[in-house]
Amino acid sequence: MMQTLAILHDAYRELNARKLFWFVLVISGVVVGAFAAIGINDEGLTIFFWTIRLPFTTAIMSEEMFYKLMFVNLGIGFWLGWIATILALVSTAGIIPDFISGGSIDLILSKPIGRLRLYLTKYIAGLLFVTLQVAVFSIASYLVIGIRGNAWEPGLFMAVPIVVCFYSYLFCVCTLLGLLTRSTMAALLLTLLFWFFTFSLNTTENVVLMGRLFSDREIAGRVEELDRFRGQLVEGSQTPQQERLRERIDDRENDLEHAREIGARWVKAHRISFAVKTSLPKTAETIDLLERVLVSSAELEAVAEADDSGGAVMTFGSGGRYVDQAALQMDLIEELRRRSVWWIVGTSLGFEAVVLAIGGWFFCRRDF
Amino acid sequence: MVVDADKSGDSQPSASSNDLALDLHHVTKIYRRKIHALRGIEMQVHPGEVFGLLGPNGAGKSTLVKIMMTVVRPTKAHGTVLGRRIGHKATLRRVGYLPEHHHFPRYLTGYEALTFYGAMAKMPRQARRRRAWELLETVGMKDWAKTRVGQYSKGMMQRVGLAQALVNDPDLIVLDEPTDGVDPVGRRDIRDVLLHLRSQGKTVFLNSHLLSELEMICDRVAILVDGSVERQGMLDDLTAESQRYEVTVQGDVPDGLCEGQPWRVVSLGDDQSSVVLPGAAAADVQPVIDALRAAGLTIVSVSPKRESLEDLFMRTVEDPGSNDSSRDDGEHST
Repeated sequence: MMQTLAILHDAYRELNARKLFWFVLVISGVVVGAFAAIGINDEGLTIFFWTIRLPFTTAIMSEEMFYKLMFVNLGIGFWLGWIATILALVSTAGIIPDFISGGSIDLILSKPIGRLRLYLTKYIAGLLFVTLQVAVFSIASYLVIGIRGNAWEPGLFMAVPIVVCFYSYLFCVCTLLGLLTRSTMAALLLTLLFWFFTFSLNTTENVVLMGRLFSDREIAGRVEELDRFRGQLVEGSQTPQQERLRERIDDRENDLEHAREIGARWVKAHRISFAVKTSLPKTAETIDLLERVLVSSAELEAVAEADDSGGAVMTFGSGGRYVDQAALQMDLIEELRRRSVWWIVGTSLGFEAVVLAIGGWFFCRRDF
Repeated sequence: MVVDADKSGDSQPSASSNDLALDLHHVTKIYRRKIHALRGIEMQVHPGEVFGLLGPNGAGKSTLVKIMMTVVRPTKAHGTVLGRRIGHKATLRRVGYLPEHHHFPRYLTGYEALTFYGAMAKMPRQARRRRAWELLETVGMKDWAKTRVGQYSKGMMQRVGLAQALVNDPDLIVLDEPTDGVDPVGRRDIRDVLLHLRSQGKTVFLNSHLLSELEMICDRVAILVDGSVERQGMLDDLTAESQRYEVTVQGDVPDGLCEGQPWRVVSLGDDQSSVVLPGAAAADVQPVIDALRAAGLTIVSVSPKRESLEDLFMRTVEDPGSNDSSRDDGEHST
């Protein structure tokens, strides 16, 4: 325990000595300050004491909702989930290469501490950077949202475990690469590449899922239409109208057949992308968990309905008229929200455990 | 790779192994299946002695030290460190180590570095703080205790490095090139610290290529050449074989003097010459002096001579395996 504490204390000193740590903290302060400056009222958006008249008012969303969404989307999704994470990686990528550099690793390995314990403790110490950053950011945001939005939302502090968890997926890869390459630069760049890869995979999976949901809705719409047509059929009647209806039903049956074929392809494509994604860390979805905690589906739906500006939504194939775009969006959100926390975090942590095990094995076997 | 270290210190070939500070057998290290860094090292270090390990660059000195310190995993190793098998982590609590070209994290001050490594050696907080100050005083770095090590000179780093190796009050201190980059005053200070440690009964294992320094403080030495121990023993015994007397006289030595003797005459110029009597004791010299005086020559000096460590080293390195009979079997004790 004494050794573990000593390593953590040492990690804190190391962070403290890095300018970037303080730099990120200051920018975090600026971001929270921006939260405090921006508001929403019944006329539009406010910046400090000026009001910008926009159709975007408290009629669309409450002050509380506005701040929560701003915290989730800008504070966590953009600042902590992207910029601060990159800066954190830049700061911490050097931890392992520095640690195992000649003349330094000898000192620590010659102490009465097991190598695996040393490796894992050093890894956890590396997460300290992000833990401190998110904790400070969350406390400041909690105060700002409480004071400005009148919403004292303790759920905000879920940002700490969620962001640290998200960061640990990347940091375990960074640690392993640092151990293998002994180079800060290589570890950093390859980790960013890996992150980009998981991000692309997530986007691909979402697009494919969207395609599948679209085709589900299209098939359902066509089946409904066919049923309606069939309902209009009169047995034995030979009127031209009925003849045209029969032709139409034949056409639509062919179309339905075709839609089902395409649907089967979407299902298959989705199954593959989903399987690949299951084995890899789910960075984006982990961050999105925070939105689940803070914003309920009903609230989101209310916002989506109120803000029915009909943004451009991609359409798949020719079945556009069977699919209500807003409903499709909600389908997607609900489908994504149905994914259990265990699937998102559990499988990601499984990946992390495997990467750490490989790193630990290398560290224990290696000669320095 | 097979790590073939003994499970306990009990099953040692030598009955007295548990009394030895270091007892190494068959220590072998092969890198990537083809580079033979160590070829079955046999080495014994007795408690309370200053032991010098010397050898040319690339002989495997640092590898051997790193195996003892669990930094490098041996391909094969039997033997004990302070009575426990090589690689036993808990034993390292009683060991101090200064690696070659060590460096502390730059953001630590000298004092913080000492307390950090003290904590890693499982020292209680109060004890390591007190000890850190004591040692900084001992190595003459007290005034720099609160300065970050990033600003230290090479010599200061070595001083604090030495203090680090002593922070846990170890029984065995292993130093890899402790005087590397240190000025003469610093070297003397380090030497004083080592002599003080010996007076406290600590065992010091010194890895250095500064032969004159080893000669000043080592009781026993081992010479490593190409991964094998070529010589090992008390410094006095190793150099004893070259013990000789030199009688310098004014004038020419008569021709018949050295007949039937292993002696030889060396002309020194300036009308002086020397009679060299290898392996002679003082009593053996007396008749020679008488003979020379009888021949009417003036005796300028009579001096016992002995090979320096450097001579021994050069002889061993340039012609390894030449004098196997002089290999020490660990019987000598201080």
